[in-house]
Amino acid sequence: MVEAIRRRLVIASTALLMLALPLVADRLAMPDLVALGTQVAIYAVAAVGLDLLIGYTGLSSFGHAGFFGLGGYVVGILAFHAADGSLFLGVVPGATAAWIAWPAAILISALAALAIGALSLRTSGVSFIMITLAFAQMLFYLFVSIKTYGGDDGLGFRRRNALPWINPRDDVAFYYVCLAVLALVLAACHRLVRSRFGIVLLGIKQNERRMAAIGLDGGRYKLAVFTLAGAIAGLAGALQANLLRFVSPDMLHWTMSGDFMVMVVLGGVGTLVGPVFGAAAMVLLQSWLTQWTEHWMIVMGPVLVAVILLTRRGIWGALAGRR
Amino acid sequence: MTALLRASGLTKRYGGLLACNDFALAVMPGSLHALIGPNGAGKSTAIGLLAGEIAADAGDITFDGNDITQVAIPARVKRGLTRSFQITSVLPQFTALENVAIVAQIRAGHSFCFWRDARDDRRLTDPARAMLDRVGLGPRAAILAADLAHGEQRQLELAMALMTGARMLLLDEPMAGLGQSESQDMTALLAALKGRVTILLVEHDMDAVAALADRVSVMVSGRVIAEGSFADMQSDPAVREAYLGEAG
Ligand SMILES: Nc1ncnc2c1ncn2[C@@H]1O[C@H](COP(=O)(O)OP(=O)(O)OP(=O)(O)O)[C@@H](O)[C@H]1O
Ligand SMILES: [Mg+2]
Repeated sequence: MVEAIRRRLVIASTALLMLALPLVADRLAMPDLVALGTQVAIYAVAAVGLDLLIGYTGLSSFGHAGFFGLGGYVVGILAFHAADGSLFLGVVPGATAAWIAWPAAILISALAALAIGALSLRTSGVSFIMITLAFAQMLFYLFVSIKTYGGDDGLGFRRRNALPWINPRDDVAFYYVCLAVLALVLAACHRLVRSRFGIVLLGIKQNERRMAAIGLDGGRYKLAVFTLAGAIAGLAGALQANLLRFVSPDMLHWTMSGDFMVMVVLGGVGTLVGPVFGAAAMVLLQSWLTQWTEHWMIVMGPVLVAVILLTRRGIWGALAGRR
Repeated sequence: MTALLRASGLTKRYGGLLACNDFALAVMPGSLHALIGPNGAGKSTAIGLLAGEIAADAGDITFDGNDITQVAIPARVKRGLTRSFQITSVLPQFTALENVAIVAQIRAGHSFCFWRDARDDRRLTDPARAMLDRVGLGPRAAILAADLAHGEQRQLELAMALMTGARMLLLDEPMAGLGQSESQDMTALLAALKGRVTILLVEHDMDAVAALADRVSVMVSGRVIAEGSFADMQSDPAVREAYLGEAG
């Protein structure tokens, strides 16, 4: 009971802080805080999706950045073709409206996850980690090699995707858009993990052989959640492209996949809200530490080890008490 | 009467080892059929083959008159053939009730329902609670499976297997690791099930086999070497030799 109240308090005060962030940034005359907050919200969306795999299904995907980057490139490529009026593959026109570009990013990432999942999920354990990594790296090299879209250097575009009633140049408005997306994704996943589907995932995580013996064809559920996590990563990637008005192969690099895993583990595996704290810790530490040294991972590494050793469920476990 | 489950020529090779070698068995509907044999005889392998967990190198399995040799595990469970495990196998982070409710959920159809909270769905928890009462775990419904005593976990496993709606259970040493009084409880439970569900029982506990089995098959080195009543098996010279006087 006390723990339930404590959990609600932590969530409420965090939500309040995030809502008030632009005001705080204004008062402290630190406008960069809004960009940092936006980055936290975007990474958090992707990390929450990854937690569905790692924390709820027991699938340690090391290829999450592949779908994140793919979503980003869909936005970038559509913007590129819209700018010069050309056609993608000679058929698809460009687009700058969010209601076209974002669903397209989600769809393409989901389809890629469906295909990659169908192949990767034949394996498990370390093989699964390696094969998801390999597929994401294939996507990375694919975009490095496409010179039309900037290759190594990436692809910039002038304006954010157009949303109704929202000025695309207004950074604070875009921050609230990302925050709203995060809230929606969290709420939907919160329902999901308590549904019949979510219960089956938890069963698979605990004892897949047992689940088969009571009549479950687990493969379909693993593929479904892998596709869903890919779609969520694609959405996050679309937001990321809009934040920077730039996409590059770095978004798909394996170190990005590693960062997403760190956010999940640091924040609290299998907690959904934990990865939000993990994303915040990662972004803030990175931005502060890079002021002192470019080797910020030298500090980040020990922090990660300490959090894993000292807490049961990451930052969220420490804040909200163990469950 | 024709057999409910029939296996013939079942063979499974692990490298140079024939874990099952031309294994044949017929289990009559409604009977409790014991499969006994020394350690390493291939009993668990036979259960794995019958349940569909292990693919056979050769041989056929028919269940209720249909060839199920190529049928996958979930489909075998739907037809009414369910196994339990020699090494306790439950969902440790779920409560006893949740362990059984998830079986009721799977039995009810697909689980592609993403929105409604399933944890207190009475359509699942009511039958699950009734099943826990049936195996004597009713008062322990809210305890995490990991925190149950070993004997209770074995009862829970039986409840999960029964909740699939099985017409036939393949029980791999349900008494393994149980103390004497717990074994007697489990024997009483199986005695109560007997006749209502067809059972193939792999067991080392000869008191339980003597008390429960309508028919006994003795397995040695991958094949059934003798079959009959428990008393017949006790006096069978080949069986006595295989066990080196250990049982029988
Ligand atoms: N996956 C496997 N790979 C290789 N050998 C195996 C495998 N599974 C079983 N075996 C071997 O097959 C033989 C039969 O094993 P099985 O587990 O079926 O015996 P069992 O009759 O159930 O024994 P116990 O009474 O000890 O449970 C043993 O020699 C075992 O070592
Ligand atoms: Mg065995």
